[in-house]
Amino acid sequence: MTMRLGIEGCLERPQFRLDLSLELDLTKPLGVLGSTGAGKTTLLRAIAGLEPDFEGRITFGSERWSEGTRFDLTPTHRRGVGMVFQDSRLLPGKTVAENLTFARRRARAVASSVSEAEVIRELDLDHLMTQMTESLSGGEQQRVALARALLLRPKLLLMDEPLSANDLAHRRHITDCLARWQTADQTPLIYVSHAAHELAQLTAQLLTLESGTVKELGETARLLPHAHAGDQARSHRAVVVGSDPGQSSLTLQWQEAAPLAAEDFRLGDEVLVRPGAAENLGFGASLPPQAEQDENETK
Amino acid sequence: MSGDLQAVALTALLAGVTTLLLIPIASPLAWWLSRSRSSMRSMIEAVVALPLVLPPTVLGFYLLVLLNPESTLGGMWVRLTGSSLTFSFSGLVLASMIYSLPFMVQPLHAAFRAVPRSTLEVAATMNASPWDRWLNVVLPMTLRGYITGAVLTFAHTVGEFGVVLMMGGNIPGETRVVSIAIYEHVETLNYDAAQTLALALLCFSFLSLWAVYRFAGHRFEVLRG
Repeated sequence: MTMRLGIEGCLERPQFRLDLSLELDLTKPLGVLGSTGAGKTTLLRAIAGLEPDFEGRITFGSERWSEGTRFDLTPTHRRGVGMVFQDSRLLPGKTVAENLTFARRRARAVASSVSEAEVIRELDLDHLMTQMTESLSGGEQQRVALARALLLRPKLLLMDEPLSANDLAHRRHITDCLARWQTADQTPLIYVSHAAHELAQLTAQLLTLESGTVKELGETARLLPHAHAGDQARSHRAVVVGSDPGQSSLTLQWQEAAPLAAEDFRLGDEVLVRPGAAENLGFGASLPPQAEQDENETK
Repeated sequence: MSGDLQAVALTALLAGVTTLLLIPIASPLAWWLSRSRSSMRSMIEAVVALPLVLPPTVLGFYLLVLLNPESTLGGMWVRLTGSSLTFSFSGLVLASMIYSLPFMVQPLHAAFRAVPRSTLEVAATMNASPWDRWLNVVLPMTLRGYITGAVLTFAHTVGEFGVVLMMGGNIPGETRVVSIAIYEHVETLNYDAAQTLALALLCFSFLSLWAVYRFAGHRFEVLRG
């Protein structure tokens, strides 16, 4: 199977510029890490052919997807990529089953060792099949979007924080499944996430982006601790002032004078919590009560 | 068939043909209006909406000037088909399509605008071609807009008078629609016949609008502003 992805070009927007020159060997799954606004999502969108402003070359194996200003040399629907968007983007007015059917009918005719039944079972979707997508929680929507992308049997799988709205138990189980399926099918994977344990388990190489340019590219095992050490240097002190073990949620109170404003967060955003010298853990975290109130007022 | 029944049948035929022809014409126009960032868009929107504010007699007058057999366009039509566009059923259909265009375009425009770009993007990443996306994503999402547009266009065409009178006159079986028949009955002091037809039109118009409001709810923007 073709595994080399070449990207060389740039995309300019007001106050943002993505400028990349990369030759990626996707024999091993690639993780992408970077702070908000580093260009992770834009990179995936450019690869998928969804960025008309991208100027440059994108090749996948022997296929030329973009060239110069022709971002649609190979339009999105002919690239054979499966993409899981951060905000799920399920087809409205359809049930979960209809969303999955839409993908299955347009899937590539290739053999897969992962059956549809297994995907539905492992992603805990059996009981949701007849529900309308609008009635699903954020986590459920993400799992449907994930199943849909997997059922397409894509040539290249692009995932943009596909589990961020799920609880810890689901995240850990799905990460296990994705790792198993990836090993079985060898589908090239580019996985964007802030969750260290997902990147560590799912990817073998890591690309870190900063302000739209490549900061580092190397083995995940080598780069990941270093990348998060950088995060730690920029971290701010907070204490836990409330907890709800049943919901895996914590209420945090800043210990410094407003290091970050409440509007810097959205409910469901992920923060890293490091209790003492223990291993890094990714948790869904609640904002302090005042921050939650501010957040609601901004909606 | 009595004269009034003939007028009712002709009106239904005119409204049906106008509606059917406007669907494929208004669809790409409304789609373009909902997606384009062209500087021409607002001007095209204004042109499409013109029949909403223009007195029907003004529109009818210009159509008569443009399409009469002595004009360039009207002359071409005569050479092509052997018949005139003025004072004929085909001319009435053309005039009705222009007159009712905003009633089809505006509900479709509103419906298409409600289809998020992100939904089309995700469909593209599921290997759906542009036509596939339109047929299996856009169309199901905008079905209400189509029904609203079709009902309004049909009802509006049934009720038109000024344009019909200017373009078609009053030829039984050819251009004499219900509104013209009512006018003629009043002119000849036949109030009973006028009353029957007027009441039928009133009931039909009310039921059409009721159906639209009931079915389309808040999606219907033409009359709610």
